[in-house]
Amino acid sequence: MDLQAFTQRILPVQGRLFRLAQMFLGNREEAEDAIQDVLMRLWTNRQQLETYQSIDALAVQMTKNLCLDRLKSHHKQKVQYNVDMTEVQAAEMTPHRQLENADSEALIYKLISELPEQHKLVLHLRDVEEYSFEEIEQVTGLTNANIRTILSRARQKLRESYLKANDYGSGY
Amino acid sequence: MDQDIEKLLEKYYEGETTIEEEKVLKNFFQNEVVPEHLKTHGAQFGYFVSARNELPSLTFNSQLANLLEPPKQAPIRRFGSWLVRIAAGLALLIVGFTGGLLLQQRKDQGDIAFLPKSKDEVSHQAIKSVLAFEKVSETSASERIQAVNQSYKLSEVDQDITRLLVNTLNFDPNVNVRLAACQALQHFINEPEVSEALVQSLAIQTDPNIQITLIEVLVSIKEKRAVEPFQQLLRDEKVMEVVRAKAKEGVSELTSADV
Repeated sequence: MDLQAFTQRILPVQGRLFRLAQMFLGNREEAEDAIQDVLMRLWTNRQQLETYQSIDALAVQMTKNLCLDRLKSHHKQKVQYNVDMTEVQAAEMTPHRQLENADSEALIYKLISELPEQHKLVLHLRDVEEYSFEEIEQVTGLTNANIRTILSRARQKLRESYLKANDYGSGY
Repeated sequence: MDQDIEKLLEKYYEGETTIEEEKVLKNFFQNEVVPEHLKTHGAQFGYFVSARNELPSLTFNSQLANLLEPPKQAPIRRFGSWLVRIAAGLALLIVGFTGGLLLQQRKDQGDIAFLPKSKDEVSHQAIKSVLAFEKVSETSASERIQAVNQSYKLSEVDQDITRLLVNTLNFDPNVNVRLAACQALQHFINEPEVSEALVQSLAIQTDPNIQITLIEVLVSIKEKRAVEPFQQLLRDEKVMEVVRAKAKEGVSELTSADV
């Protein structure tokens, strides 16, 4: 695999890897550093890449493992949600709405990061990256039913903790 | 509409929605007008949408390109595998050898074309062509000396060669060539006319060196006919003292041998 082929196959995935890393690590610099590491590892092992069914799934797995390793080795506390994430908001929103959204999104991020790793990962892949269940199976190695259960629990948990945080009480 | 959304939300929390249905939900909550009782669901969908727009910074891509580029260049610049190198070396050797062989062959052919069959004939013609009287102005003294010296390597000489040598001895403008011719003729003293020619030459030569050599040659072959010219030399006042002494010696030797 030469550089061109590598770039064509891997680089489109890099945004996805970056978002995943950012979700786990909580800030842009560390996320970039992590996916750079992942891409370099893929590049040095490019001879073996052909033998994998899905390079995407492999790359996502590597990113997840690397991020979890880093979190462990650094003994990191949960990082504050990076506010610059909201800079990409749609322009038609009013400043007040934007601020409100930024606040609620930061809160959502914080709540997601409190979820267990497995739930975090499945929720991220499905709701942010819009992965199909088959793709999630490839990455996580879980069965379809398992994934649905985890997803459902993660969504409900997120909803609950959001309501609790905003003092809305229970129910929709 | 709101009821559809409520149903979708229910399915969503059960983990049963399809990706298309989830997209519908995301779009719905991106709108400005969200019914009050549904607003609390908006936050997470808003997060999902904006999180999806995140991309690594532009500098990241160029940094990555820099990291990927250098390891790629090194192996490509190298000149093939060991096999290719060895093959290239062998190819060079073969070209060198065949080139050498071809050159050698051409040289051999050229030599054969230039030289007639036997070595003797070669030299005969070569000597004749160099010593030919008309060519004296064209050939150098050293070339003529070489031709003269080659003449003693001939296994058999004919009259043409001895005449040429005699001519050279008598008329060559260069003293050294004449001397060489004199020494060459010494080898062919048994050929007809050679001793006679030497006796006659004694009267012609003026160079003391050649005169002495001639005297020595004539004495060594005990040529009686030389006594007369020796005595002429003795009488000649212009001839150098050394030559006259040599001639005197020669006369006495030749006459004493007679007795």
